[in-house]
Amino acid sequence: MIDSILLVDDESLFHLVFEDACSLLDISLTLEAINSSDHAVKLFEGWQKDSDGRPECVFVDLNIIGSSYDGIELIRKITFEYGNNVVIGIISSSNEPEEQARAQKAGAQFWIIKSDDIEPRLEDFKKDFDGYKSKSLPFKIYK
Amino acid sequence: MKVDKSIRDWLLDVQKAKRITLEGNILKLLEADEDDEAFSKYIKDALEKDKEARRRRLDVTKQVQEQNKNLLASQEENERMNEELKAALNIAEEEKIKAEAAKAEAVIAKDAALNDLDIAQKRSQFELIGTIVRVALYVIIGVGFTTTAMYIVAIVTKSDTQIIGSTWSNMFGILLTNAFSIVGTIMGVKYASEKKE
Repeated sequence: MIDSILLVDDESLFHLVFEDACSLLDISLTLEAINSSDHAVKLFEGWQKDSDGRPECVFVDLNIIGSSYDGIELIRKITFEYGNNVVIGIISSSNEPEEQARAQKAGAQFWIIKSDDIEPRLEDFKKDFDGYKSKSLPFKIYK
Repeated sequence: MKVDKSIRDWLLDVQKAKRITLEGNILKLLEADEDDEAFSKYIKDALEKDKEARRRRLDVTKQVQEQNKNLLASQEENERMNEELKAALNIAEEEKIKAEAAKAEAVIAKDAALNDLDIAQKRSQFELIGTIVRVALYVIIGVGFTTTAMYIVAIVTKSDTQIIGSTWSNMFGILLTNAFSIVGTIMGVKYASEKKE
């Protein structure tokens, strides 16, 4: 089970869906959901000084409306500027190969396609999580 | 994580008295002693209840999400149709303006055509009058010449000139009067025709 998850998504309803799905699938005990990339940046700036409360895994929406950075830019910042070594990836309804290539370049380890039936994808992700944690798994798209 | 006996008993009492159990991920951390069947059942029931509640909430949330998605799609469709309607209205407005301009041009062309027709009719009328006047003038001049010729012949042949003389005199007076009248008419017709053109 993943210790803690941070979800960055502007859609509040998806926070509930994700939280319930994670709970039902026993994916994580702790889940924090925020709706802006600016908030995420502030949190990671804080965790750079004190890692207490830092999540083990971060799910980022591709288009975060009302934020200064989109999901890929946020991943790039977390991966290369804050260097917290968290498992990080995109969760989005988009399935654009160009965006997926950009995300991978920015440091994303996975891309989960957001749809009505998210549970099977999360279940697959749960199985692969240890591989992402040890950085032994390549970038993967969960369709 | 194991809880002490007082907390365990309190949790079981609350469940029994008020049918309230713990909820959320804390349940996943709780453990019961191997021989404590009552607390094991409590944890199992509470977990089931929590999962059931989450499953229901997940279903409802997904339904709301789906409805929101449909609403957004309808809104986008409405906006698209509104845009199309606006574009169609603009085109119709432009066509209306063009049609009005064409109508105005047609009215001007019609007025010009009617005017030309009127002028042509008047011109043909004046030409007819001119022809009549010209023919009348030729007749008058012809009669004048004929009468004068007869009078000259009568004088030369020394015939009786009393009747022809008075006739010629009267005729010439009448012809002169009429000739001036006709010349005046011709001048008038000519003047009127030139002014219309």
